[in-house]
Amino acid sequence: MIAVSPLPHTELEDGRGALVKLDAVGVRYGSQWALRGIDLTIREGDRLALIGPNGAGKSTLLKSLLGMVPLTEGSVHLSQPPPTIGYVPQRLHFDASFPISVEEFMAVAAPGSSGWFGGVPASKKPMIMASLEQVDAAILARKKLGALSGGELQRVLIAAALLQNPRLLILDEPASSIDRRGAASLQTLLLSLHRECGLTLVFVSHDLHWVSHLASRVACLNGTLCGLGSPEEMLSEHHLEETYGDSFYPKAGSFGLDRRAV
Amino acid sequence: MSLSDVWSYEFMRYAILSAMILGPLCALLGVFVTLRGMAFFSDALAHSAIAGVALGFLMEEKFGLQMDPMLVVLAFSLLLAGAMAWLSRNGTLAPDTVIAFSFTGCVAFGVIVISMLGNYRLLDGILFGSIYANGPQDLLRQGTLALVAGGFLISQMRSYTLMTLSPELAHAQRVKSAILHYLFALLVAATVVVCLKMLGALLLSALIVIPAAAAKLLSGNFRTLLVTSMIVGLFAPLLGVWTSIQLDLPSGPAIVMCNVLVLLCCYMIRPFASRLALS
Repeated sequence: MIAVSPLPHTELEDGRGALVKLDAVGVRYGSQWALRGIDLTIREGDRLALIGPNGAGKSTLLKSLLGMVPLTEGSVHLSQPPPTIGYVPQRLHFDASFPISVEEFMAVAAPGSSGWFGGVPASKKPMIMASLEQVDAAILARKKLGALSGGELQRVLIAAALLQNPRLLILDEPASSIDRRGAASLQTLLLSLHRECGLTLVFVSHDLHWVSHLASRVACLNGTLCGLGSPEEMLSEHHLEETYGDSFYPKAGSFGLDRRAV
Repeated sequence: MSLSDVWSYEFMRYAILSAMILGPLCALLGVFVTLRGMAFFSDALAHSAIAGVALGFLMEEKFGLQMDPMLVVLAFSLLLAGAMAWLSRNGTLAPDTVIAFSFTGCVAFGVIVISMLGNYRLLDGILFGSIYANGPQDLLRQGTLALVAGGFLISQMRSYTLMTLSPELAHAQRVKSAILHYLFALLVAATVVVCLKMLGALLLSALIVIPAAAAKLLSGNFRTLLVTSMIVGLFAPLLGVWTSIQLDLPSGPAIVMCNVLVLLCCYMIRPFASRLALS
């Protein structure tokens, strides 16, 4: 049963409102459950990381938040008025020789009609440039989308998501295709967007070091929700072994939960 | 033969008008066909039309059902395109596998039926077509298709571009991807059927694929790609018709060879494209 319904205003213990609430959410592909029994509340201002091994249901959970997969059971409740959700996919699936410039892509990603014959309408130009400037990528506006590096592409995808003016930004493995320096720079960008625009962030990542620096809460998934709490708690050896199994490596101590940057 | 001589013949006027209507339409469609990796799909649909034509003649010969052959081919191709699009999206087989067995099966069925009816001249017409066989009724069909298909593509350009770049992003933005996917397949099928008379089943996909491929070599952005593709789509078939008249060549192959020539020229001038301000 799919149920996406309004969430009555709920003030949580820390005074923040609930943005999205998942009640006993389950998603099944064929006879295989990808996720089951997920009870999770995303709070205003959260930086929620979803971690877990491959096939744990992290991307399925993101897709269920976006309404991209039908729920087999349970329900998703949105606060009122429903928060605008921006989505940053892991990558674009396109032929890199597709001649589309960054600003043309932004025009396509922006709400409303696109320009005549794929061009950038004058009415959209200011918002496109403002969005690109927000992620420090204005210089890329005329560049071909297929010629961008992994880090540049992530910035452009975030800028495109910002065009929706979102309250909640969902990112699917944003740091997966970029080097360490790019990942650090992306982390700084996301933290500044969180601080300056009040964005709530939900993201999937396999890089636990990155998670430890960015997340305010961590949800451990392994088909079910096997832990939810602060990064200090969830990135402990006990929780990681529970999430990833005995073969987990590296051990939790190697993340060095240095959260001074947060 | 001078231009005024050419224009004085009715069948040549129809041929030129037909090239001017269908060339840019196929080129516009071709941009999305190539970007969405559907070149094989359009080629397969063109070949499969042989089965539609054979089916029309079988119904007429064996069951005495008098129907416009074009309508039979159109109905067959739309059904086939819908089935291939559904199987590719929901089946367990890879899309190119689905397309390969559908099209070879259709061609085999069509050739068997045509050989049983003993009408080999018909096969020749289906395979190679002739733009000079167009009449006013054909031009009306082509004009209607150009208005409907062109208008639809232009109105849905944002959705199709987003679907091409990232199906997930399109879904997140509430683009009705599934419906648009099927509509695109049907649009390709309708265009292929209407163009069949112009180039025939063997050569038709050149009209769809080559202008977009040539334009892609010169374009630095999407708008340039669309405009250049349509310009190539307009002038290459006209050049083909002209060459066919002047050198007394069959029209279909002449049109395709002119398209290939333009593609080669684009390839050669590619390094200078930025200096020509095309990028």
